Amino acid sequence: MLEVEGIDVFYGEFQALFGLSLEVGEQETVITVGPNGAGKSTLLRAVSGLLPCRNGSVRFLGQPVHNLPAHKIVELGLAHVPEGGRVFPRLTVMENLRIGSYTKKARANVEKNLQEIYELFPRLAERRIQLADTLSGGERQMLAIARSLMSGPKLIMLDEPSSGLAPLVVSMLFDFVGRIKSQGYSILMVEQNVRKALELSDRAYLLESGKVRLQGTREEFSKESYIRQAYLGL
Amino acid sequence: MRRWLVAAILLAVLLFPLLKVSPYVLHIATLIFIWAFIATAWSYMGRFGLVSLGHGAFIGIGAYTAGLMFNHLALSPWMGMLLGGALAALLALLVGWACFRFGVMGDYFALLTLALGEIVSLLLVAFREQTGGSLGFTLKRVGSSWLYLQFEDKIHFYYVALAFLVGALLLWHWIDRSRMQKALRAIGEDEVAAATLGVTTIRYKLMVTMISAFVAALGGVLYAQYVTYLNPHTLAGVGPSLDIAFKAILGGMFSLWGPTVGTGIIVLLEEYIRVNYGAKYIGLSQIAYGIALVSLIIFLPKGIYGSLEERLKRKKARPQK
Amino acid sequence: MEILLLNALANGILLGGVLALLAFGLNLIFGVVKVIHMAYGQCVMLGMYLIYSLKSMYEVPLMAAFAVAVVAMALWGALLHLLVIKPLLGAERLNQLLALAGLIIVFENLAHVVWGADLRGVRVDLPVVSMGNIFLKTSNLLAFLGALVVLGILYFMLQRTYVGLAIRAIAQDTECARLMGINPGRIYLLTLTIGGALTGLIAVFFSPIYSVHPHFGGSFTLMAFIIVVLGGMGNLAGGFLGAFIIGVVTSVAAVFTSTEWAEILALVIFILVVLVRPQGLLGARGAR
Repeated sequence: MLEVEGIDVFYGEFQALFGLSLEVGEQETVITVGPNGAGKSTLLRAVSGLLPCRNGSVRFLGQPVHNLPAHKIVELGLAHVPEGGRVFPRLTVMENLRIGSYTKKARANVEKNLQEIYELFPRLAERRIQLADTLSGGERQMLAIARSLMSGPKLIMLDEPSSGLAPLVVSMLFDFVGRIKSQGYSILMVEQNVRKALELSDRAYLLESGKVRLQGTREEFSKESYIRQAYLGL
Repeated sequence: MRRWLVAAILLAVLLFPLLKVSPYVLHIATLIFIWAFIATAWSYMGRFGLVSLGHGAFIGIGAYTAGLMFNHLALSPWMGMLLGGALAALLALLVGWACFRFGVMGDYFALLTLALGEIVSLLLVAFREQTGGSLGFTLKRVGSSWLYLQFEDKIHFYYVALAFLVGALLLWHWIDRSRMQKALRAIGEDEVAAATLGVTTIRYKLMVTMISAFVAALGGVLYAQYVTYLNPHTLAGVGPSLDIAFKAILGGMFSLWGPTVGTGIIVLLEEYIRVNYGAKYIGLSQIAYGIALVSLIIFLPKGIYGSLEERLKRKKARPQK
Repeated sequence: MEILLLNALANGILLGGVLALLAFGLNLIFGVVKVIHMAYGQCVMLGMYLIYSLKSMYEVPLMAAFAVAVVAMALWGALLHLLVIKPLLGAERLNQLLALAGLIIVFENLAHVVWGADLRGVRVDLPVVSMGNIFLKTSNLLAFLGALVVLGILYFMLQRTYVGLAIRAIAQDTECARLMGINPGRIYLLTLTIGGALTGLIAVFFSPIYSVHPHFGGSFTLMAFIIVVLGGMGNLAGGFLGAFIIGVVTSVAAVFTSTEWAEILALVIFILVVLVRPQGLLGARGAR
């Protein structure tokens, strides 16, 4: 589904990713973990078109997307939920969701999508006419994810969805991700909460200093002593 | 720039009038010197991120103070310069303190100075009894006099203006070497960080603002004395304020010679178009000027001289790779 | 005196309506494209000149001239975006400001060269409406009502259509908007086209009221900025409020003093707002 091959990504003169390769298969849930500054967010931004790739290639559903502008990549079915529960603050919940179905394809099914989302996220349905910046942190993160789902993607990329959320809310969040997974979406998730993320995943990558340090299936990954020590506290 | 090159240019410029050039050429050169003087003063602030779009306020205050004092009280323009400069510096202190104290920066600072320049211009018009309003007023002629800074020929003013310009450039050098420069550079790059490092940001910003205002006011007096005519729309207000900013930025406000180069190019360009296409098309020259300006901002954001300087620096850096 | 004051108040409110349009255009452009359109007033001026030329020189019927002006200014806005604003999107704010200020010089002198320095006006004879002791010029009244209608339409467009939603999204979070599939370039172009059309509309409303001259844009640009800062830059509701405040203040001040002092007053208000409450009356704290 998604094939990233040998990309170099820069912020000005500063190189953040070095020849990075990664892939996500159909209906797979892949997680990317690593310390701060490892380049996890940068990876997602490069894939979704917010950042340019200097070398290498990114293919989505067989199509090269590394030179496409972000708004075109969404149309192909690749959604990106950036870090921090970013929603459009002065739009209502409903408006946030509607704008999620902006692409031509999605717009045709806007009402249907809305209904599905309201079923999946009843809390959002309750708050549909509230302005987004009046929601709590957890609700905003839900809204951000729901909004991306409104575009009818095949692959959804989540950037640290649990960051800044209270532990109770974190559990709820991972439940949701589980539900999304069971609906058949492919997921690429960047997370700090390795334990919970690993439970949901099929495969995992460890990123450090802009390079892939380790990769493997869930079992392989959890057995890695380095992972167990550094990230699982075992 | 290489020392010898500077010396050579200076020598050429000094000896130039002795080559029996026409008064017209001297006139153009003098205008370039005077406006370059003011543009350089503008850049004292501009290069540190304090972009003023209202320098007309200071130019106008300087010119009108000295001019009115001269016409009514026979005060020598040299004294008038000090007085006008002091008033301008005072205004700069007040407005500057208010801005820096309230944290007004960037765009808002620029817009605020724009409003300030316009206020001074409007005030000059409003007090039309004293100032002659929109029509301005003329200075009394006293023939050639060093005391009253008026001359019958062009050569004297050429050298006076040149001396002032050199003074402004030396002042730039002095600012560059001072503690002020290091502090202001830090402020220019990241104001918040500089503040936390204990750099007394307000003090340095005020200092450079007052210096800039004072020198600009001197330039205003110089210009008024040269053309012996004052008008609020040529000295204060939005027009001259933007004009000065453009001259400095076109040449490159971060470099010593930038404002001078910029002024030279603009004045020569304007004269060329005026001479060749007649006064009827004075608007045309301004249109061309405006378009050239906008294009330059788009394509050469560091100004003409600034971009050249950067290219030369890059060339020097390469062999070491 | 009271009658004079009442009339000034009434006409100030009418003026406020059109100023609200001006503020809306500026705020829309600033909110979405994040650029301060320094030459907005000058665009209105060009629109007025266009109407004048069409009517006086080519004998085009007035209504047709109005329609042409709006369309032409919309295209002019688009052209401005493509030639000047788009290339400067990544540049320093200062450079953007200066480039647009440079356009002021170009437009004013363009007017000077093409139409000369004299006042040019379109003569429209309209009756005066009276309500008791207050005399309202029909031209002012029509302008006021017209402005409200246009504002209503724009409000509807922004709140109820997908395009309006996209514009608001881009204004609030450009990156996220891109991730929704919104093409920012297209939205910027649209915004500047709408902004341009607004200058055409304002020119239409102003034509029966004012005569135009090359420096006409100047005082309106300044006033527009005062309004926009007063209301909070990028804040559409604030601009609406600010327009009426400034409209009334300047009209009333003009009764007591000369135009210069009225302008000085407005500028002083501007400076005070920038110093004390830069987010404007309705802007959020910390929003600049």
